[in-house]
Amino acid sequence: MHLNPSEQAMLDGAEGPVVAVALDYLVQFGEAFGAERLVDLAYCHYPAEMGIYEGSVEDALAYAAQGARVRVPTSCSTLCADVERPTSTGCPATLAALQTQVVDAHRRMGICETYTCTPQYLGFVPPFGACTCLVESSAIIYYNSVLGVRTNRGGLFTRYAAITGKYPLMGYLLDAQRRGTHWFHVDIPPESLRTYDRWCALGMHIGARVGSEVPVITGIRPDRQEWLLGLGAALATSGSVTLFHIPGVTPEARTLEEAFHGDVPADRRIVTAADLDAVYEAQTTIAPHAPIDFVTLGCPHYTLEQIRQVAAALAGKRLADGVRCWICTNRMTRRQAEFSGYVQTIEASGAQVVADTCPVESHMRQSTCRDYGLPVPQVEAMVCDSGKMLRYVGDLIGCRTALTHRDGCIAAALSGKWTP
Amino acid sequence: MNVYRVRKIVRGQAAGPALICPGSFSFLGDVDLGNGRIIAAGNPNRGQALRGAVLIYRETKGSSGGVVVLQTLVRKGLAPAAIVTVKPVDYNLAEGAILAQIPFACEPDGDILNEIRTGEPVRLDADAGVLEITGDGL
Repeated sequence: MHLNPSEQAMLDGAEGPVVAVALDYLVQFGEAFGAERLVDLAYCHYPAEMGIYEGSVEDALAYAAQGARVRVPTSCSTLCADVERPTSTGCPATLAALQTQVVDAHRRMGICETYTCTPQYLGFVPPFGACTCLVESSAIIYYNSVLGVRTNRGGLFTRYAAITGKYPLMGYLLDAQRRGTHWFHVDIPPESLRTYDRWCALGMHIGARVGSEVPVITGIRPDRQEWLLGLGAALATSGSVTLFHIPGVTPEARTLEEAFHGDVPADRRIVTAADLDAVYEAQTTIAPHAPIDFVTLGCPHYTLEQIRQVAAALAGKRLADGVRCWICTNRMTRRQAEFSGYVQTIEASGAQVVADTCPVESHMRQSTCRDYGLPVPQVEAMVCDSGKMLRYVGDLIGCRTALTHRDGCIAAALSGKWTP
Repeated sequence: MNVYRVRKIVRGQAAGPALICPGSFSFLGDVDLGNGRIIAAGNPNRGQALRGAVLIYRETKGSSGGVVVLQTLVRKGLAPAAIVTVKPVDYNLAEGAILAQIPFACEPDGDILNEIRTGEPVRLDADAGVLEITGDGL
């Protein structure tokens, strides 16, 4: 790999051993995949050091103590606890205390303590075409597809990218990798694609068929930012999709031809309402009219407008006994929602507005419950409007699930029953 | 044929007896973290220890949690001396292998799964891009 003089100096230790080691890892990584050079990054979204992973918080504290500091604007992904209200989610006090310690490490490193899966909604929006390194598959696909900001699926090495501000020029940072590979045409009336859950179901269907390739989707007109978010999150869950194009909507696909870089395939797969029905069927394992004990809204983290709508629906009502309902978001949005009175309205009903975490990232994972002596499972039956959440909670929390629209979720929370 | 060209993923050289696993391999689930032995039911080397061996297999499955297992094996001194895979590796496994600092290569130019036998002494020089059988094989 070719390094410029300042990169070579960095590798040789001119900026200290922490930076030199970090760059050495990135150079080896790039060489393994044939990258010719490094690129300067505009932004990183850092992997949260989660308290539920043994040694993770301690490792973050040690890295900060070594003097590691980020060089580019860097936000941070979700934790296992709500750090401002550490025990409000039922997180064991010892785990919450461990998790909260990581905030200090991030602060010292210069990482913004955002703890969210949707940093784009906090203003971390680099210019079109910028190279970045992110963790969190739903954010990665949104940045690539909706913002035209380039990132691979950053893993462990997102840390070293943030410390050096560099990344090997490879994968989705390259033009060639961003070419559409598969064409899906959606033959579903627009009026039946008007709720968030429907876009999640669409993403679950296509993702399962396209794997890690780049789908180009026609026949749809997403009029809400959260529909694009839900679609992408689901594509990245049922497949490992990193980038999609919607001609006329997403920025690298002004036309069908541009989406495919001029090489439009002859075949397209048609998606019908029946395909979406199959997703609902697969993700719904709660029997009709059976009791439910948990409702999740906010996967990925809800926007202020979505929270406003939940507040309007819950105003003056009470959740059924024994039902918990989390509306998950980031702290900045929760603060605004408090200012606007939405949090107070929602919490008067018995539901909770939760920041920094979500059920699947929380202490409610079966393995964590066992470590902390909590009953398993923490949830028997969860209703949710997100295909991504439901894909993971069955295995990780050990609950039955139902996928439906937000009104259906709220009805379940108020009645304590799943009504298809 | 005793010498194969391979693609370097992690630098370094190491030698040891070959441990040939013809199918896919997952560090998460196929290995006992306590003793570093293979526990996967379908693996012909079930019960064998990875420690000190040149682990050779077709492709990695279940990569995400596997890198943590690999790092744990290194920390406990139970890791293989080197790893060679027939198929290309993904980013996730490459990151884990770089952090684990185990010489690692992939994409050999020959049929190493059939031409090398378990127990044969082999040597990987990842930097030179060479995997070679160092003994007479018998």
